[in-house]
Amino acid sequence: MFDLSQTLALLQFGDSAYPAGGFAFSWGIEGLLADGFVPSRGALEALIAEHLTFRWASFDRVLLGRAFRAESLEEITEIDRLTEALTLTLQMREGSRRAGKALIGVASKLGGTRAHAYRQHMSGDATLGHLTVVQGLVYRDFGVTLPAAELLSGWTLVTGLVSAATRLGAIGHIEAQASLATAREVLADLLLAPVPADAEPQSFTPLIDIAVARGPARQVRMFAT
Amino acid sequence: MNQLAKDTQSKQIAAARLGIGGPVGSGKTAMVERLIPVLMARGIDIAVITNDLVTAEDAERVRRSGLIDPARVSAVEAGACPHTVIREDPTLNIEAADELERRFPGVELILIESGGDNLASTFSRDLTDFWMFVIDVAGGDDIPRKRGPGVIRSDLLVINKTDLAPHVGVNLPKMHEEALKVREGRPVLLTNCRKGEGIDAVVDLIEREVLFRR
Ligand SMILES: Nc1nc2c(ncn2[C@@H]2O[C@H](COP(=O)(O)OP(=O)(O)O)[C@@H](O)[C@H]2O)c(=O)[nH]1
Ligand SMILES: [Mg+2]
Repeated sequence: MFDLSQTLALLQFGDSAYPAGGFAFSWGIEGLLADGFVPSRGALEALIAEHLTFRWASFDRVLLGRAFRAESLEEITEIDRLTEALTLTLQMREGSRRAGKALIGVASKLGGTRAHAYRQHMSGDATLGHLTVVQGLVYRDFGVTLPAAELLSGWTLVTGLVSAATRLGAIGHIEAQASLATAREVLADLLLAPVPADAEPQSFTPLIDIAVARGPARQVRMFAT
Repeated sequence: MNQLAKDTQSKQIAAARLGIGGPVGSGKTAMVERLIPVLMARGIDIAVITNDLVTAEDAERVRRSGLIDPARVSAVEAGACPHTVIREDPTLNIEAADELERRFPGVELILIESGGDNLASTFSRDLTDFWMFVIDVAGGDDIPRKRGPGVIRSDLLVINKTDLAPHVGVNLPKMHEEALKVREGRPVLLTNCRKGEGIDAVVDLIEREVLFRR
């Protein structure tokens, strides 16, 4: 499926040490944990599966594919605006934009031409720069294929969630590896099913959306989302 | 695709970025609060970024201080990784600084307060042009001798809370001398942020070494 150079690129860009701010986002895990919704490893794995199935696969992945294929700044802007419009809560929108801006900033400095052009284009418009759109743009810059870009997007979400749970003390380091293995299977199944040509982005993760939305109301908060 | 490949480099002069690191409680936020009025009185256009560990307390404190337009203070969350956010992956801080520059085009200096740490933290050179490390006398006079990367490699070491030296049995001149020795003569300044003592010397150094004004 992936040749040697693609595989090595995946290891680099999918590495949790890749500097794009991912460590500061828990995408709801911090809040759900504080409210007692993550009592066990099993509960964490269910949450990750929910994230992947009802948000990532049906929403992010669809938009990522469109951004990957887009050939003009106008087209990308359009996809970005759609992402903004379809993301329910302010906190989710802000988190997505902040993560996207960190990623496009690095890609642009590394010489990515699409990343550079779009970064310039969107600066000044605070509603642009969503993570999933930027991923589509940037991963193509990096020379990876669309399936590889999808894999990177899904996997960096998974590692972000699991490492946030580990840092928050919800699971230990061994459990974290077990959770990653479980999530790998969920992600693999999703990736094997192609995105239908007429797919429209949609998501339904109420628990996660509410947890992220409640972030700013929490007294103690270490993560951006 | 041509449109996307086009390189449109247009770089305005960037603000200097000053990192302020050091252990939790050494007086980093107190230093920021002391630096702001002195820098502003000298006509320097500034903004602030805080990297709070668990709450947005520092950012709120600076915003409410009345010393600076609250819109010029940004908070960056560290996801429980206070070292990562200023060293291995400073991207969120870089974006926050770029954003402040975009919103306040005349800004000349951005103070970036670290969330605090032990003695092992350093700022990425990609994030800051200059960084100071703030320790305090109450942490013990053996801190310089321990030669942590912050103590050794920072551009400026500040020993704060000089007022507490007699109360914690610290021989201040000796601590100062040892700090200069481990840093091979590179700058070490003494401050009392409670009273505002020693702040002018810090700002003189910033003007000279960071803003190239003097
Ligand atoms: N006595 C004394 N207390 C200080 C001084 N500077 C800061 N403090 C106090 O030390 C505590 C921690 O200061 P803070 O600025 O929040 O530390 P940070 O965690 O490094 O940002 C606060 O209670 C400050 O009022 C000083 O020079 N002398
Ligand atoms: Mg502080």
